Amino acid sequence: MQAKAKLYPKEAARLLREKPGVREAVTGATLHFEEGRKKAYGEIDAEALRERAKRVKDHLLTHLDHYLELAEKRLRENGVQVHWAEDPLDAHRILREVAVRHGVKRAVKAKSMLTEELGVNPLLESLGVEVFETDLGEYLIQLLGEPPSHIVGPAIHLALSDIQRLFHQRFGTPLDAPPEALAAVARKVLRDAFLTAELGISGANFLVAETGTLVLMENEGNIRLSTSLPKVHVAFVGIEKLLPRLADLALFLPLTARAATGQRLSTYVSLIQGPAKEGEEGPEEVHVVLVDHGRTALLHDPEAWEVLRCLRCGACLNACPVFRQTGGHPYGYVYSGPIGAVLDPGLLGLEEAYPLPYASTLCGACYEACPVKIPIPKLLLTWRHRAVERGLAPTWEKGAMRVFQMVMENPALYRLFSKALRGLPLPQHLLPLLRAWTEGRGPLKPSPRPFHELWKELEEEDGR
Amino acid sequence: MRVALFITCLADQFYAEAGVAAVRLLRALGVEVDFPKGQTCCGQPAFNAGHWNEARALAQRTIDIFQEYPYVVLPSGSCASMVKNHYPELLPGDGEALGLSEKVYELSQFLVRVLGVEKLGNGLQGKKVAYHHGCHALRELGVREEPLRLLQNAGAEVLPWEAAEECCGFGGLFSVKLPEVSLAMADRKLSTLPQADVLTSTDAGCLLHLSGRMGKQGKNLRVVPLATLLWEAYAG
Amino acid sequence: MDARTRILSRIGHTLKERPKALLPEHPHSPPSANPLDLFLKRLAENGAEGHLLEEERARELIWELSQGHPGATYGRGVPASFRLLPQLPPEEAPLGVSWALFAVAETGTVALSSEDGRKAQLLPPVHLVLVEEGRIYPSLLEALLDLKALPSALGLHSGPSKSADIGQVMVKGVHGPGRLVVAVLQGSW
Repeated sequence: MQAKAKLYPKEAARLLREKPGVREAVTGATLHFEEGRKKAYGEIDAEALRERAKRVKDHLLTHLDHYLELAEKRLRENGVQVHWAEDPLDAHRILREVAVRHGVKRAVKAKSMLTEELGVNPLLESLGVEVFETDLGEYLIQLLGEPPSHIVGPAIHLALSDIQRLFHQRFGTPLDAPPEALAAVARKVLRDAFLTAELGISGANFLVAETGTLVLMENEGNIRLSTSLPKVHVAFVGIEKLLPRLADLALFLPLTARAATGQRLSTYVSLIQGPAKEGEEGPEEVHVVLVDHGRTALLHDPEAWEVLRCLRCGACLNACPVFRQTGGHPYGYVYSGPIGAVLDPGLLGLEEAYPLPYASTLCGACYEACPVKIPIPKLLLTWRHRAVERGLAPTWEKGAMRVFQMVMENPALYRLFSKALRGLPLPQHLLPLLRAWTEGRGPLKPSPRPFHELWKELEEEDGR
Repeated sequence: MRVALFITCLADQFYAEAGVAAVRLLRALGVEVDFPKGQTCCGQPAFNAGHWNEARALAQRTIDIFQEYPYVVLPSGSCASMVKNHYPELLPGDGEALGLSEKVYELSQFLVRVLGVEKLGNGLQGKKVAYHHGCHALRELGVREEPLRLLQNAGAEVLPWEAAEECCGFGGLFSVKLPEVSLAMADRKLSTLPQADVLTSTDAGCLLHLSGRMGKQGKNLRVVPLATLLWEAYAG
Repeated sequence: MDARTRILSRIGHTLKERPKALLPEHPHSPPSANPLDLFLKRLAENGAEGHLLEEERARELIWELSQGHPGATYGRGVPASFRLLPQLPPEEAPLGVSWALFAVAETGTVALSSEDGRKAQLLPPVHLVLVEEGRIYPSLLEALLDLKALPSALGLHSGPSKSADIGQVMVKGVHGPGRLVVAVLQGSW
């Protein structure tokens, strides 16, 4: 996917101005998810389980080469064909070979953020393959030609009326058709696709190294269908998605579900060992593509490597009051919200993702929500600091900071600044900032006298 | 008992009365209050924006100014957290930064946890109060119950507010770097505000942002720093 | 050098310097009370239906679920005594009947093996799962630790297919069955 993260501030402002409905839809949906998560965390010793999950993932990541080799060995033993991809080009080559060899005309896709990263859909389309996103939300945005706006709820930015209008234009349903009717229409189209597609494509929530088990979570059944009906299944798996042991799923499946949707477990979990055995229903071929695409570089980062624990549950997006105003589109890349703000600079390079670490008030709600305790606020600060070190901050900001330090280091200057605030002309550097403040909040009204001047009277008051 | 008051720059400039209230309250509770000269800003705006050299210089001088005191009290949660949590990160291995970190308290936290005060007086009888949890007070300092207890025990009714723990959208430089998002956040927060007599919080920045936004929208509600209300709780 | 070698060598290089984190042991699960009641409760909370039934009642249930329909589709493991209705292709059958490998009480889950089939579990609008009472594990951890061999695909089903992707309204039966009925069979089979 082409990243447009640089445009975040402009795009966020434009969306708020031009599409106020998005804010309403996203706020409603994320608050609902967030309420579910809080309730679901409340049922368990969330702190202990989050800590345990963090430790399992840290063990995995600090032994990643070992577990990757083990997973590969087990997958092969299970009859799965294993491929390695460093970048989208590798992934495309692998997928192209499979699609051409099987003469694929139709592909059904289970929702996967990694395939968004890799640009799988455009590749297949270029090969003349008809691609169906089968997750209902993902299908909606595919019809609209939009990227997902949320890791778990790709269409949360759409109001019911938007979808009614879309289906009216596309399928001739009435403009007031209820959600059940719209879902039935989509089900019919997609059921036909499931039954006729030659290729099923998925990501993976986990890949268990010990057993070579591919694990996928969902609520609709589209992933079970996509990985069961077509004769070929290709799964794209980020190398950080491994888990050491099968029984680790007892911790990670429920914790992910609670964090993502407030469920005790997602409705369907697929544990896939390999192709169907003789006489069984299921795919004849299963391929696993182990994908790097920036992950080894992130692992090498002494601080940001912790983001590789991420389970893609979306809990931090739901908890984030900044994300709630716009949804994911203005962030300009696959991963948005707090996790995007700390993951994208690692995946894309800080220069490409510069404004994203600033798309936060550092309120800390994301950290409380994260099931694997990724220190998102701390990493936001780290990326900001690195951005400044690399000279990415705008000139006005650097100037303002220099003036700020000068004033605050010198009490005499600070007192002068106090006076200036109460009448004298303000330093030119600060003017754009002042304007940005006052436009939405009116003029700044300082106290008639600053506290440091009142202190003298308080001292006397004490003496009496 | 002797404490140093660190007023911090925003309160100094925009909520001077909070400082006056904090001093009077602490004195009334038998605490000797000093206001060390030369204090300015804790450096948080620079730190949060990634300008750590500037922030470090300010952290260093703040440490020099306050390190001789057994307690440092701030009427601001986010500045208290800056000194407590971020100075040691900014100055790794610096014993004085760690030393100061252990002595720093937000005002209500100091009253409850150090002085053991649960009830200040009855000065808020019948007052309907909306309390905004500043994010850093809440999530970095863990100050949730202290202000609520002090307000309630003085007779105030702290109103249920579904967005009480949601960020108001201030975020320091965030408020001017991403003003549209910042204002949308304020609007969401304010759209859920219950019918209160007064809105309060530990954080001057949040209050400046929320009261400015309300003013712009023609809403009229008394907005005061927590220190001011706590003094009223005591003095009536 | 191929992609595999390059990826693994980069990781190896990075991890040489990195302190290693220990792998925590699995927690000891406390002995749990009768998992059946919890299983039925969780199923209901998940929007599924669960019943503890004797064989005869289970057969009646199949009749009830198929009311007015000409047949059903069966998983391979479903005993002959439950194949009361004519077998239909899964694409057309109004009812799918499966034989579960095991169930999990704490999450209200039935585990379905690919050895039993896949289409019967997914294509019909109503899915009846038969599970032996003795195959209910109290927790997911106990079930996974006890799992000796994995089939080519194991599906954990914990309720009807659902989605809230259209305007945040919960819709059932989006792709998979909109109704999940679990018959817990008394005694052993």
